[in-house]
Amino acid sequence: MRFCFLQFFLFILLNAQVVLAEVKASNSVDEFSALPSWLSLVHYKKNLLGNYKSSIDTDSFFLAKNGKTSPKAELKATINLFNSDDTKKKCLFPARYKLLTKYFSLRPYPKCKELKKFYSDIQPAGVSILFTDAYMNNPSSMFGHSLFRIDTKRKGTQMLAHGVNYGASVDETKTNPVIFAILGLTGGYYGTFTVKPYYDVINTYNNIENRDIWEYNLNFTDEELDLFVAHVWELGHNMARYFFFSKNCSYILLEILDAIRPSLKLSEEFPFHAIPLDTIKAVVSRDNLIKNIHYRPSRQAKIRYKYKQMNKRQKKNYLELIKDPNSPLDDLTSKESVGVIETAYQFLQYELVKHEIDLKTFRKKSFVLLKRRNSYKENDLMKELKAGNNPAKSHESRRLSIGWGLNNNKSFESISFHPAYHTLTDDNYGLLMGAEIVFLDTELRFYNENKFVFQNLDLVRIKSLSPVDEMFNPLSFKISSSVERVVNPKSKDEGYISKTEFGLGKTLKIEDNFYLYAMLNNSLSLGGFMPHNSSYSVGVEGGVLLNLSPVALKLSSERLISTSDFSAKAKYAGELGFHINKNFSLFMEANIKDNYHRDEGQYLSGIRVRF
Amino acid sequence: MKKILVLSALISVLCAAQAYAVDSTGCGLGSLAWQGERGKVAQLFAVTTNGTFGSQTFGISSGTSGCDPNGTITGGTRRMAVTFLENNLDQFALDASRGEGETIETLAGILKVDAKVLGAKTKDNFDYIFDSEDVQVLNVALKIFEIANA
Repeated sequence: MRFCFLQFFLFILLNAQVVLAEVKASNSVDEFSALPSWLSLVHYKKNLLGNYKSSIDTDSFFLAKNGKTSPKAELKATINLFNSDDTKKKCLFPARYKLLTKYFSLRPYPKCKELKKFYSDIQPAGVSILFTDAYMNNPSSMFGHSLFRIDTKRKGTQMLAHGVNYGASVDETKTNPVIFAILGLTGGYYGTFTVKPYYDVINTYNNIENRDIWEYNLNFTDEELDLFVAHVWELGHNMARYFFFSKNCSYILLEILDAIRPSLKLSEEFPFHAIPLDTIKAVVSRDNLIKNIHYRPSRQAKIRYKYKQMNKRQKKNYLELIKDPNSPLDDLTSKESVGVIETAYQFLQYELVKHEIDLKTFRKKSFVLLKRRNSYKENDLMKELKAGNNPAKSHESRRLSIGWGLNNNKSFESISFHPAYHTLTDDNYGLLMGAEIVFLDTELRFYNENKFVFQNLDLVRIKSLSPVDEMFNPLSFKISSSVERVVNPKSKDEGYISKTEFGLGKTLKIEDNFYLYAMLNNSLSLGGFMPHNSSYSVGVEGGVLLNLSPVALKLSSERLISTSDFSAKAKYAGELGFHINKNFSLFMEANIKDNYHRDEGQYLSGIRVRF
Repeated sequence: MKKILVLSALISVLCAAQAYAVDSTGCGLGSLAWQGERGKVAQLFAVTTNGTFGSQTFGISSGTSGCDPNGTITGGTRRMAVTFLENNLDQFALDASRGEGETIETLAGILKVDAKVLGAKTKDNFDYIFDSEDVQVLNVALKIFEIANA
């Protein structure tokens, strides 16, 4: 009997504890479901009406039917899952378990075979956020791309770490650029996560696309690292709608960082658009988040750096060697030869990737080179490229300019703004010399006779001055599309035209900061303001770009032939930026048009602020 | 005429959008570069167990990713070493010819041998490891296993 009683007593006691735990849980479910750590782990964002909605779009990420919009329902469903027998599902949500088990009494986490394998393959030692820099001759790549690396504790190097990339999942064979653009902007694609060995990342960016990689090692605790890997596992099975401007590769990374350390509040800084480099700047700006910064130059940057260090004889021999791998290196010492051969081999690798030589040629030439290299005992004495200008320290992307000017002797005040990104006369620390990209540049003018006018809207303006040298032979180009206010040279009336311009040319590098260029331009102007509603011009342009920090100077002159004498015969332009610091500068601009002796001059000077 | 103006502006916007899309590589197109060949390792195993050698040859490494379909570095020492060489063969060839470099350090880590020693050995045995311009990755790997343990 006593035995029975004891049993009964124990039974009551046990039940009471369970009930107690549940009561405690139900009280705290309300509270807990509103905590940033829960909200950010399920990627909830508040919309304008104050309702929650998760950024993740696949049903499998939610356990409650209304889980996408209800943090509380999702929390309840998650707690229920962890107290159920559904091992398979539990194994999909290790990060949620790690978080919830600190606050709720949950059953022990099951042994998950696949998850365990993921950990043992990855062997996590830390997390880095990576920024892949601009590639040559592509100004818009200045926006960059970002991804994560889960650093490894495997023996060897971080080549054995893993990259975690988020990108739109696009079937290349079934799309064309227009559809790609439309779907990309409207969320027509889903973004997915991919995990790849870091050597694959290096090959993709450093070696194929020739972009530098910047590695920002994050200062995560062991617990944060553990949660990060678990969260990547959770997300890896799910997708979110992908928007190129807003919910893009870089933005989602910020949501992940917020999930690991909610106090960072990174994603809320980018409600409308997330430029990858801007997101990196936000990450770098947080206290106690970045441990180290490491630079991995692109193959092209390494080749250029080595070539620059060569003496005259080395250069001459090198240029012969990249054409003929058997070319004798007669007048070089052994020490001088080694670096020349190694660089020549890297140049062959570059050519292969660029499809400038075929695989067969590559094998033949490289085999000869490597055998020659192997015959020397000496090491390459040239320095390796180890440092660069940290792009996270470049100027901010929005620019407001205020100026005072003269338009054919009429004075005006001007205010202009663009949300992104860089012009040739801005401070170019951390950015590509000779590359310009501007989006939605708008100028308003206020003339002193009390007239307020909309001067121009440049939808996009891209200019790439990419220098030609003994090894590389890129085309320079420009593209622009704008709506502009122009003067009718005959009547002196003003009106609007829509103008599209495209130019191709070559750039010569005199010094690293001194370029000369020549371009052949085509431009088409449309608008009822003009006679015949349109005008087409062909022009030859020559120019100078000089960057002597803190001064940047751009000069150009262009001769044009047009279908209408509405367009100018010649144009001369000059622009000077004087940088007080990277975000604040003074500027002067002059634009002179010569149109059959009806000259037109526009002069403007003022201040520019980037923020 | 207003129509033409609007149309022209619209076309420009589309162009702009496309420019962005193309460039935010990685954000958009870049992800394509990530799509490795599925089942490569299984394929590799198949050829290994059949006693023949893989078809990966010198110089293909950049661009083709012969990695695990799940995307993680996996398997035992030898399988890892083969996969690593398969993906980094042309860089390894350079490092082997000079006896040092990142790929040698990595491989030494995988094989749990000293990087300096492995570097010296690969340099001394370069002609043996890379015996022809059509050398195949499994041949290279087997020879490295041989000399690393010698």
